[in-house]
Amino acid sequence: MLQAVPAPPLLDVKDLTVQIDTRRGPLLAIDHISFHIARGEILGIVGESGAGKSLTGAAIINLLTPPIRRIQGEISLQGARIDGLSIQAMRELRGKKIGMIFQDPLTSLDPLATIAQQLIETLRAHLPLSPSAARARAIGLLREVGIPAPEQRIDAYPHAFSGGMRQRVVIALALAAEPELIIADEPTTALDVSVQAQIIELLKALCAQRGASIMLITHDMGVIAETADRVAVMYAGRIVEIGPVAQIIQSPRHPYTQGLMGAIPSLGADRTRLTQISGAMPRLTALPEGCAFAPRCTKAMALCQTQRPSLTPHEQGAAACFLLEGATV
Amino acid sequence: MSDPFIEINQLSKDFDVSPPALERWIERSPRRILHAVDKVSFHITRGETFALVGESGSGKSTIGRMAVGLLSPTNGDVKLDHQSLFRSDAAHTQAMRRRIQMIFQDPYASLNPRWRTGSIIAEPLRVFNPRQPKPEQIEAIARLLEKVGLSPVDALKFPHEFSGGQRQRIAIARALAANPDFIVCDEPTSALDVSVQAQILNLMRDLQEQFGLTYLLISHNLAVVRHMARRIGVIYLGRLVEVADASQLFNNPRHPYTRMLLAAVPDIQKIGAGRTTRMEGEVPNPINPPSGCHFHPRCPLASTRCTQEAPELIDGVACHAVARPA
Ligand SMILES: Nc1ncnc2c1ncn2[C@@H]1O[C@H](COP(=O)(O)OP(=O)(O)OP(=O)(O)O)[C@@H](O)[C@H]1O
Ligand SMILES: Nc1ncnc2c1ncn2[C@@H]1O[C@H](COP(=O)(O)OP(=O)(O)OP(=O)(O)O)[C@@H](O)[C@H]1O
Ligand code: SF4
Ligand SMILES: [Mg+2]
Ligand SMILES: [Mg+2]
Repeated sequence: MLQAVPAPPLLDVKDLTVQIDTRRGPLLAIDHISFHIARGEILGIVGESGAGKSLTGAAIINLLTPPIRRIQGEISLQGARIDGLSIQAMRELRGKKIGMIFQDPLTSLDPLATIAQQLIETLRAHLPLSPSAARARAIGLLREVGIPAPEQRIDAYPHAFSGGMRQRVVIALALAAEPELIIADEPTTALDVSVQAQIIELLKALCAQRGASIMLITHDMGVIAETADRVAVMYAGRIVEIGPVAQIIQSPRHPYTQGLMGAIPSLGADRTRLTQISGAMPRLTALPEGCAFAPRCTKAMALCQTQRPSLTPHEQGAAACFLLEGATV
Repeated sequence: MSDPFIEINQLSKDFDVSPPALERWIERSPRRILHAVDKVSFHITRGETFALVGESGSGKSTIGRMAVGLLSPTNGDVKLDHQSLFRSDAAHTQAMRRRIQMIFQDPYASLNPRWRTGSIIAEPLRVFNPRQPKPEQIEAIARLLEKVGLSPVDALKFPHEFSGGQRQRIAIARALAANPDFIVCDEPTSALDVSVQAQILNLMRDLQEQFGLTYLLISHNLAVVRHMARRIGVIYLGRLVEVADASQLFNNPRHPYTRMLLAAVPDIQKIGAGRTTRMEGEVPNPINPPSGCHFHPRCPLASTRCTQEAPELIDGVACHAVARPA
């Protein structure tokens, strides 16, 4: 430890609440979630499809558009509030201090501009570089994300790149301005294991060498296991469990996290049926009164149907389940 | 039993990736041709799942797009039920198209943003069964939505109102609506979280059993492939380097590249640890690939012969060093 006084975390999110306005009334897409990310730390975010992972990322960088809006919550970067920033100030922050890798690589690229044009424009918007220096840097970035012979491919349009190559261009764009925080939404889903390993190593090196922090949204528990320091598990707009990666994987406390671990296909087994958590996550329009996981939970008690468990700390992390508060049937 | 339903025969695709003509002339540089797919042959038995694995950019999606007739090959042919997909009469093509569907790698780009989910799914229904009465059609849409884990009321929403995983389920529902025989699934679950992935994979298998569907599955996730496929083809820089039964490929991989690929799989047992085996060497340039066997610069078994002569696919493996049964 170099400092006596603990520095504020790089990112601090308190009580973030996001609402979607619909004709039939407001829906609570994100329900009072709080977490922080330390400098140099990788926080993994996992959870059911539709749980609100991408919306959480979008809310942090103020990219929500109507009918979706943040109705509550404080977001601080390096101790300074960023939730009230003007559109202009926020735009400068994005790209420069916060790099964003969106879930859909194709829509984040302009189909009518070459890869070179897009990278050079982003680089020059944030760093004082001449056009030729920016081009050299762009080629270097493409090489870092594993595009072979980047000097021959950089002038191509996005459609001439494979799915995984486009995803890597998006990663290169997010890293271009050397941001402090990277919000990566499913950055490696379209990538095969070898390129994935290369990207993961690149992200880890950014954290170790530059002290950058990463919010890593992914459903790939293998990637989480190899990269994340801590993991937050989301379900129906809330964090249901958070803790160090080893605890989440080896001794998950929340029944949903336990089910999630069972659903992972493993390399050891042949064509068998995967364990699946029966049923589906409730729709935002029909959130149950009690614990949102109760309808699918094998351990649900009467209490779970009527009351919401809150995130209760234990020795290593925290989980939102009545079983952990000592309730019995 | 062994009657091939899908036959991929010496399939090749070249892309011209030259700089613009003027620039090429000024710099006196030659044309650049990218051999995305190079003489690939395999077949799929009816009702079977064949999987293609390989590095990003190795040509998997290009093969998939040719297998559904969306892209015409530079050379070679694709046959379904002994009939070529690439005959020039339109009526024939139209009839074949109906039997083949594709689930695309990018669920965002493949759904029309201005259409409601219901219309997106109804489109193949209308083609397939134009005289179906409206109420029955609505019911069919509702059933398909429920099959993929969505709800009938979702028919009224637009694609942007769904999360990434939910959109992929819409794409799957649309593919199923055409009642196809053969579906090319390009990374069908890579946008899905594991619990939904398990549901979709189980669903795909149930549908296969129910309707005798044949799948070409493209995935970089080896665990998914192992779970789904009976046979697997491994692609390296546009060439098929190994074809084997799934259990054989995983228990006894023969090609050096396949072995490297299996060793590089991330594992939830390896918390915080780096990968024990990393892929050695740089990914080669597909425009100017290594001579002989494309894999030789990264191969631990390479000999001088490998730098000069491309190995043929014999007995399921294309490698000079792998011992063959006499
Ligand atoms: N524009 C919108 N209008 C209405 N509902 C929306 C909109 N965008 C998102 N939602 C809903 O908000 C919820 C959370 O979506 P989000 O994209 O954050 O999910 P996610 O956790 O990222 O899921 P995935 O893993 O599938 O990407 C989902 O139920 C989704 O249907
Ligand atoms: N329209 C095109 N013009 C030029 N090159 C192309 C075109 N389409 C694909 N390519 C090139 O062909 C090669 C193979 O691409 P393909 O999309 O088949 O790869 P893939 O195996 O599906 O990869 P991924 O796993 O990343 O999706 C890549 O080098 C790609 O850049
Ligand atoms: S042919 Fe030679 S270089 Fe190619 S995989 Fe076999 S041993 Fe390695
Ligand atoms: Mg998402
Ligand atoms: Mg592809």
